Amino acid sequence: MSQPPAIRVADLSVWYGAQRALTGITLDVPAGQVLALIGASGCGKSTVLRALNRMIDRVPNVRWQGSAMVGDTDVLGPAVDVVALRRRVGMVFQQPNPFPFSVFDNVAYGPRLHGIKHPARLRKTVEDSLKQAALWDEVRGKLRRPARALSGGQQQRLCIARALAVKPQVLLMDEPTAALDPLSTAKIEELVRELKGRYTMVVVTHNLQQAARISDWTAFLEAGRLIESGQTGTIFTTPRDARTENYITGRYE
Amino acid sequence: MNRRGLTLHRAALGLAGVTGLVYAAMLASLLRDGWPLLSWRFLLGLPRELEAGGGVAPEILNTFSMVMMAMAVIAPLGLAVAVQRVEYGRDVWWTRELDRWSRVFLSVPGIVVGLVAYRVLVAELGWPVSILTGTVALAVLNWPFVAVSAGDALAGVPESLREGSLALGTTRWQTWLFAVLPEALPSLVNGLGLAAARMIGESAALIFTAGVNVSPHWGLAAPGETLAVHLWYIRTEGLMPDATGQAAATGIVLLGLVIALLWASQRLALWLERRH
Amino acid sequence: MTAHSRRLRTDRRQQVLLGAAAGLYAAVGLGVLLMLLVSSGPLLLRVGVWQALLGVHWNPLAGQFGLVPFMSGTLLVTALAILLALPLAMALAVVGARVLRGTGPSLMTRGLTVLAAVPSVIYGWWGLTTVVPVVRRWSGGPGFSLASAGIVLALMILPTLAVLFQDALTRVPPTWQEGSLALGATDDQTLVRLIWPAARANLFRAMLVAVARALGETMAVQMVIGGQTIWQLNLLRPGATLTTQILTDLAVFPPGTAGYRALAVMALLLMAGMYMLVRISERWERTP
Ligand SMILES: Nc1ncnc2c1ncn2[C@@H]1O[C@H](COP(=O)(O)OP(=O)(O)OP(=O)(O)O)[C@@H](O)[C@H]1O
Ligand SMILES: [Mg+2]
Repeated sequence: MSQPPAIRVADLSVWYGAQRALTGITLDVPAGQVLALIGASGCGKSTVLRALNRMIDRVPNVRWQGSAMVGDTDVLGPAVDVVALRRRVGMVFQQPNPFPFSVFDNVAYGPRLHGIKHPARLRKTVEDSLKQAALWDEVRGKLRRPARALSGGQQQRLCIARALAVKPQVLLMDEPTAALDPLSTAKIEELVRELKGRYTMVVVTHNLQQAARISDWTAFLEAGRLIESGQTGTIFTTPRDARTENYITGRYE
Repeated sequence: MNRRGLTLHRAALGLAGVTGLVYAAMLASLLRDGWPLLSWRFLLGLPRELEAGGGVAPEILNTFSMVMMAMAVIAPLGLAVAVQRVEYGRDVWWTRELDRWSRVFLSVPGIVVGLVAYRVLVAELGWPVSILTGTVALAVLNWPFVAVSAGDALAGVPESLREGSLALGTTRWQTWLFAVLPEALPSLVNGLGLAAARMIGESAALIFTAGVNVSPHWGLAAPGETLAVHLWYIRTEGLMPDATGQAAATGIVLLGLVIALLWASQRLALWLERRH
Repeated sequence: MTAHSRRLRTDRRQQVLLGAAAGLYAAVGLGVLLMLLVSSGPLLLRVGVWQALLGVHWNPLAGQFGLVPFMSGTLLVTALAILLALPLAMALAVVGARVLRGTGPSLMTRGLTVLAAVPSVIYGWWGLTTVVPVVRRWSGGPGFSLASAGIVLALMILPTLAVLFQDALTRVPPTWQEGSLALGATDDQTLVRLIWPAARANLFRAMLVAVARALGETMAVQMVIGGQTIWQLNLLRPGATLTTQILTDLAVFPPGTAGYRALAVMALLLMAGMYMLVRISERWERTP
């Protein structure tokens, strides 16, 4: 497998119509490491993620400035092939969103898009992805069952497997455990730690303990601005900014 | 949208454009043929069998009166059936069968109702081919439509609203009247507007029940050709020299009525929704 | 307490009234069905069901009640109308649900709603003035034909079909579509591989509604089909359908004649068709 790329966001600003959602964000994620994005609701965490795989293109009247390098390509550049980019940069959503197909067809959806038709190869890719997502043992022999019959936690891991099946280099996760129970949450966290090194990951979370447990780096956003970012240990023990400290200790002024 | 992989969407846009042009051409030819004949004389005059220059005043009157009378019967009766099914309905085999047949009768062809009404009302009971007979056929044909659309409107009201009201100790009837009805009123109005539009345009059920003639004196027992039937009749059997134009002009009046009615009912529904 | 019991009494009275309305409703429906059975029964008992249904000659005065010409006409015209309308309706639905998405109920949707309510005689009028001459010029035949009827019918059911299709497409949750796009699917691929399969039950049921409308349409078809009762399968030649034959022959065969009974058999066939469509539609309701 190829080396995962580093991510470098430089001076990124995003507007939804007249409303400014991000202001001058600068962030680095070293190759193969995990960045946690934390901050209050509406501060722009999802916008950062959606800029990195250009899902923001779906919003009418969206504008941006600045650059976001994934490896050697500026994903915000005008000439970027958005479809190819999204294969490199996978995404997992807050609500598990399996398609109304079987487990197998869900995971095979991406590979099939990209022209893999051979049954044996498809099967291998599906099996590998499900194993990587730590779901294989629970669904083996039930691959033809409808995916929407799985539990919420299994559905979310299925969505991760589905994202992994297209062999991305980067994984973006937008509050992947917000809709899950503690046990399923623990499984997803475990998974993130396992996938570390093979993928560069950005994880949005409202759960600060989770950020502390799974990430190498943490960035704290407030009202569309980056307040502070650094190594997770440092941010959680000795934050430089008072606003960061208030947020992580649960104090609001 | 992405720049790549839009071929299908572009083709859809192209096809949709072509389709739009076809409908535009249809409306244009209707206007082209009919507009020159539209005049007060046409709207207020009597039809003529053999010479040019007839009017459609009796047809307009017949259309209005028959639709209004049929509506006056099936609006309350259709609503009653809907309330019975949605608010008081039990789920047993015969109610399920009733709902199923409602849907079957939703698409019963008008001519089938015409066939039966002709036998029962005209041949057996000896009623004349008349406004009254046509009104009954119209009502029978459209009752299921009103019942089903009203039922859908009522079923669209969230159950929590009913539970909230019942929890206050009101009876089911009061709950329906004060909690459910206001909430469902906009969709009810929309459904009734569609039903009336359907009735204005109906012709197959009326040819053998209301007839293809008009009488200079309006009455329940007088023959009751409507606008839609008139259009069909003169375009297929009319002997007057300006038959095509007459038919088109009738079509414009008919279309104008339908559009005005739909527009009015939609505005009313919107107003009710805002006020609520 | 008395106030409450009075209210309960009103409640019961309403319930009785509503029940009566529903009873009358059921009675009218049953009455229509019974009349069809009573009207057609004597003929079916006399010549036998199969002879009536499978004969190809229609001449009630000579005791020939073959319905094949009309069944075949109905099926051909309906099939042609659906085949023509399906791609166009899907195109309109894709434009409405995906190209113009997020602009509220667009002008297009409102236009389609009006077109769906346009009386069928107007479509028939247009068929007579435009479609029939065009078919005549193309084919060299009379112009009045099964093909003309199919084309007029297609235009007539298209608005309804497009509105229902659009509704089916918009019901596919946006989160599924985002999931597909995030995997690197193009918009076309998302449409073909996700949205169509996900919406297929609703799309299919929409098609059944259109089939029902096409089966039952009378006026627009009668105006352009030519009304020929001799069985033939050439789309460019005249024919007749179950509904158009009832319309043209009801004047000739009043109730009490054998001809009327044959027309009642046709009506019964139409009702059986509608019943079957409803049953099929119910099956698809449960398997989304
Ligand atoms: N499609 C959109 N159109 C207009 N404004 C938007 C859109 N999406 C987000 N916004 C606005 O941009 C800002 C940032 O939104 P974003 O979704 O990135 O926040 P977030 O940090 O992910 O919040 P949450 O924790 O609630 O998910 C918010 O003020 C939001 O209202
Ligand atoms: Mg968010």
